Amino acid sequence: MKAAFQHMLFGLLCLNSVNLQAVEKITIHLDFIPDIEAGKTTFSVCARCHLPEAWGNTDGTYPQLAGQHVNVLMKQLLDIRNGTRQSALMYPFVQERTIGGYQQLSNVVAYISTLPMNPAHARGPWPPGTREYRQGEKAYKQFCASCHGDNGQGNNELVYPRLQGQHFRYMSKQLDRIKSGQRTVHPAMQAVVQELDLEQLEHAANYASYFAVPEEDMAASRTWRNPDFQ
Amino acid sequence: MGNSDNNGLSRRSFLKAGMALGTLSAAAVSSQAVAAQASLESTAKPPPAIRKLLNEATLPRATGARVVVIGGGWSGLAMAKYLKIHNPAFDVVLVDRRPEFISFPASNCWLADQVNLDFLTHSYIDAAKSHDYLFLNATVLGFDRELKKVFTSNGFINYDYMVLAPGIEYDYRRIGVDDPVAQMQLYNNYPGGFVNSSELITIKRKLHTFKGGTFILNVPNGEYRCTAAPYERACMAAAIFKKRRIKARILLLDMNADIRIKKQGFAKAFSSLYADYINYLPSSEISRIDIDEKTVSTDFDDYAFDDAIIYPPVRASSLLEDAGIANMKTAQKTANTDPYKYHVIGDEYVYVTGDSRSQPFSKGGHTANSEAQYVAEVIAAHALGKEVRWRSPQTMCFSAVDINPLQAMSIITFYKFNKQTKKFEFDRTHMMEDWNVEGGQASLAWAEGMYRDMFYR
Repeated sequence: MKAAFQHMLFGLLCLNSVNLQAVEKITIHLDFIPDIEAGKTTFSVCARCHLPEAWGNTDGTYPQLAGQHVNVLMKQLLDIRNGTRQSALMYPFVQERTIGGYQQLSNVVAYISTLPMNPAHARGPWPPGTREYRQGEKAYKQFCASCHGDNGQGNNELVYPRLQGQHFRYMSKQLDRIKSGQRTVHPAMQAVVQELDLEQLEHAANYASYFAVPEEDMAASRTWRNPDFQ
Repeated sequence: MGNSDNNGLSRRSFLKAGMALGTLSAAAVSSQAVAAQASLESTAKPPPAIRKLLNEATLPRATGARVVVIGGGWSGLAMAKYLKIHNPAFDVVLVDRRPEFISFPASNCWLADQVNLDFLTHSYIDAAKSHDYLFLNATVLGFDRELKKVFTSNGFINYDYMVLAPGIEYDYRRIGVDDPVAQMQLYNNYPGGFVNSSELITIKRKLHTFKGGTFILNVPNGEYRCTAAPYERACMAAAIFKKRRIKARILLLDMNADIRIKKQGFAKAFSSLYADYINYLPSSEISRIDIDEKTVSTDFDDYAFDDAIIYPPVRASSLLEDAGIANMKTAQKTANTDPYKYHVIGDEYVYVTGDSRSQPFSKGGHTANSEAQYVAEVIAAHALGKEVRWRSPQTMCFSAVDINPLQAMSIITFYKFNKQTKKFEFDRTHMMEDWNVEGGQASLAWAEGMYRDMFYR
């Protein structure tokens, strides 16, 4: 009896694994027309921590969201929602039961994309002309530029984050987290980060923090405040 | 109470020691202390519980530098987790005398039945398991910083680093109640609801069974725990009374000259939602409380009450005194610590964080969590002979204003050090004082996220 049961179980397991191999991934592309006004309402919750300008913190605890590509923002929200990107505090805020479905995510991402960028983001400690800057430039051009772009402009279509305007400490912290396995990212990025040592990564982040943000993308001054939430 | 027990024990030891030595001559044993020592060394066998204290606590052998975190509140829980993240080689032990964690943040929502007790309750075992440290359910009894030992009810632990995050105690003296027995009676009749979870359960029962009349709540002065909570609690108490349709008056005696935080929001709530329930009385410095007569006296008036929640001003936990690091001249009896690196001046292996810190940051959960993330990094760097750049704690603070549906407002603030005044002050602050349903939902998402950070993976 017991043997029969085990046999049956074995059969079931085999059947199951055969089935799994037969299953192919189905990818669905869905289009959403964002409602920016509704996104503003949703963003009022985000702004409680990220602040109304979404400019991030110079100490690296919050990223600058303003100016980031919509597809990149969307990917982060979805990654945090399903646990791929670990962020305990963000997690409950991006669940369907709180923020809503893809439409609401699209709305808020579109709203964020309308915000002007921080004209005074935090740069790394090594300005152009220093040895560390040049080392960072070399590492960046060799390992980072092919995806993130020569000027850190990223690529919305291909979901490569824009690095222009990102706070130095936020970038270096993320690189640390990726290297130590606390953050899982695209395999190509994962591989590059393993290729470089912590110092090289720090220098590359330093170099990226000096990319100029196009004038037209920035707020007029660092004292600009988002009028939607005054 | 602890003192009288000790005296009783040493008196018995004295008699035993005297008899064992075969002499009752006063000259032979010149002091109680000598006698007590003699009794320990020679004949009198201390009870098993006492002997246990002198043994090492049962813990797996330390695999790396051992960091003992005292206090499993919002600071200690984040500390234990992030110490392991920043240095996985650390052997981290979190010590708390409570068997489980009940959250004080979001507890005002629980008073008004907006969340259940499961929402607030979490397991230290889960926290330790999720984040790869050890939890020791024990009471801390004392320290030997020379030998780097902490004594607990389960035995002593040798530490390489120690983080003290023991939180606050009530300071009844500052509302004119000096007698320890009177303090105890006041605590047992009108608990403040900011230290022990039994206080919260009592408060909930009080609010849901109050028959009507005058209910006194107060706001302490000084740097008390959770600046907005007494005002928020007044709103929740009023919402409960309103829902129960009882004829009740809340006297909110504020020992401060004005609402301390989210002033516009709370003032509007008191006048627009709870005008029939809340009398807000600023500058009401409590000078006397008569438990028998049920009156609270301020410099201006005496207020009779039917029931009350008395929240006295607070001070740092007396464990800092036990560790010999409390500066008794400071208002809150805090330790002399490095304002940036948090270690005790003269001892780079002992740190003080959370609500017993000496820096004037807001005493609250989010502040403690963000601070602990930074200090954990400081300690991990110290072990490698490195330093970490200072960063500000963040104070994210939601306040519930109305219920069914829950509505809340929020504030976020950061700090900076003013080099001229040599004091910390507020940096960028963002208020969202228009309370709404989104705020209510966000406040619960915030709490859930914080519990997730501390207890789960």
